[in-house]
Amino acid sequence: MEVVSISNLSKIFNTGKDNEVEALREIDLTVTKGEFIALIGPSGCGKSTMLRLIGGLIPITSGELSVNGKTPTKAREERDYGMAFQSAGLLEWRTARKNIELPLELMGWSKAERIKRANEMLELVQLGEFARSRPAELSGGMQQRVAIGRALSFNPALLLMDEPFGALDEMTREHMQDQLLDICHKTESTVIFVTHSIPEAVFLSTRVVVMSPRPGQISSIVETNLRAGDNTADNTKIRNDERFYKKVTEVREALYGK
Amino acid sequence: MGNELTRFSTWLSTALKWLAPLIFGVLMVTVWEVLLLVINPENFLLPRPSEIFSELIDDLSKISDDRSKIWAATKTTGFIMITGLFWGIVWGVATALLVTLSRAANETLTPIAVAINAIPIIAVAPLFNNWLGLTSPRSNQMVVMMLVFFPIFITTARGLTQVDSQQIELMNSYAASKWKILRSVRIPNALPFFFTALKLVAPLSIIAAIVVEYFGGSQNSLGALITASASFADYSKAWSVVVAGSIMGMGLYFVALTAEKITLARDRSPRLLLIAWQKITGRTTGA
Ligand SMILES: Nc1ncnc2c1ncn2[C@@H]1O[C@H](COP(=O)(O)OP(=O)(O)O)[C@@H](O)[C@H]1O
Ligand SMILES: [Mg+2]
Repeated sequence: MEVVSISNLSKIFNTGKDNEVEALREIDLTVTKGEFIALIGPSGCGKSTMLRLIGGLIPITSGELSVNGKTPTKAREERDYGMAFQSAGLLEWRTARKNIELPLELMGWSKAERIKRANEMLELVQLGEFARSRPAELSGGMQQRVAIGRALSFNPALLLMDEPFGALDEMTREHMQDQLLDICHKTESTVIFVTHSIPEAVFLSTRVVVMSPRPGQISSIVETNLRAGDNTADNTKIRNDERFYKKVTEVREALYGK
Repeated sequence: MGNELTRFSTWLSTALKWLAPLIFGVLMVTVWEVLLLVINPENFLLPRPSEIFSELIDDLSKISDDRSKIWAATKTTGFIMITGLFWGIVWGVATALLVTLSRAANETLTPIAVAINAIPIIAVAPLFNNWLGLTSPRSNQMVVMMLVFFPIFITTARGLTQVDSQQIELMNSYAASKWKILRSVRIPNALPFFFTALKLVAPLSIIAAIVVEYFGGSQNSLGALITASASFADYSKAWSVVVAGSIMGMGLYFVALTAEKITLARDRSPRLLLIAWQKITGRTTGA
């Protein structure tokens, strides 16, 4: 089942003005349910723009883009998306649990349902005992986990993540990667994940979409899928596997040109 | 043991926080008293604190048989201050909300507000008196209101608009309406800004209320009492009125501070203010 279908999509900012920027050119991409797409490319090539377009936050300039067979705006209104960004973006005056409750509040869940789900999410990201902590009392990694719990809280069909682990140290990052995969498998989410780390892209994804410098175009797509559908695969094994290194090399070559 | 010790040290630091300015204040007053007593006991332009306070106590002791001038004046001026403050806050916050929600409102109202702010409002108080009646409280309320309006408006508007753009984007991704964004993100973000402005304008409003009374308004007011006492060379009376005004200003500042503490202590929901109000007034109905 197609979750995202993009054809011949272009995005130009400030058309006709002297600060005109061609961000994306002629993008074609289809994402099916359950896929984990890693989006990688040089800084400024339009990765964030692509997520914003898919999320219906900014209008497309030309081409076609549909999400679950709907326009992005419609999909957004029907709350098909969960989003997470590089900085956690928590509301500082709310506790961890209340931050996770925010989207549920907006969607009209009852208080009891909200609390129940928020607690489940906190367990999922292993922050059960921090329900009443404010963001200022949590480390960067913990805040990011709260943000991910928030993004997942309403079972969105599609997760859009923009360098969510970019600010984390290596150890926390790997831990978060494992958790994210685990959560995604449990919830059967489809994910589009922007990253600037090649190993991260390879480790997480089923496919890595490599983009060229601005104007952003898809220069190649690398099939990774190291788990081959086996959700119980041992993550440490995969990280040390020869296939992992081969795929890293493959993506690197695609990124820098051979 | 350790627990008790930490409790004692927090108690001590709280006590010190209050004690230090108190001791300093008492010290200042004592120095003032002693210095005048030593240098110039006959001085009457600047009375000693003891004279001022005995004047104040003397006047206030007549409250029961309704002959206290200072009490009557405090009520008059207090009323003008509170109502002026209230309407200044209401209009300031309302304008800030309007300007935040509508670009058109922002482009028309903000320049007008800035222009109004450039008028030296106290200086035009005599004109207001001519328009609205020399003895009417209207013109004085108007001056206080206009003085309060601008800091509240500008600061609150800043708090409502200076929101992390990512947070707005996130709210948009949940298809949150303008109102929901206002309620969940903008207003909580603006509350600390609002209270900063409130703590600024609360003492300002008592200054404004008294100063405009030098030009007109009721004759039973703090401002009128100061000018009258000064022209009769009754300086300890004049100063005791100033002290009464100061106490009122401090009281107002404290109310603002407490409101801030209550609201910001928890989820930055103004709902807590309402709950506090219900507790105070003993009413239990409502939200
Ligand atoms: N709102 C905007 N207005 C104008 N230009 C923009 C806007 N957003 C992004 N751009 C431009 O589009 C290009 C791609 O940006 P972005 O998608 O953020 O890149 P990436 O996330 O890959 O680093 C950049 O040149 C950026 O300056
Ligand atoms: Mg980016």
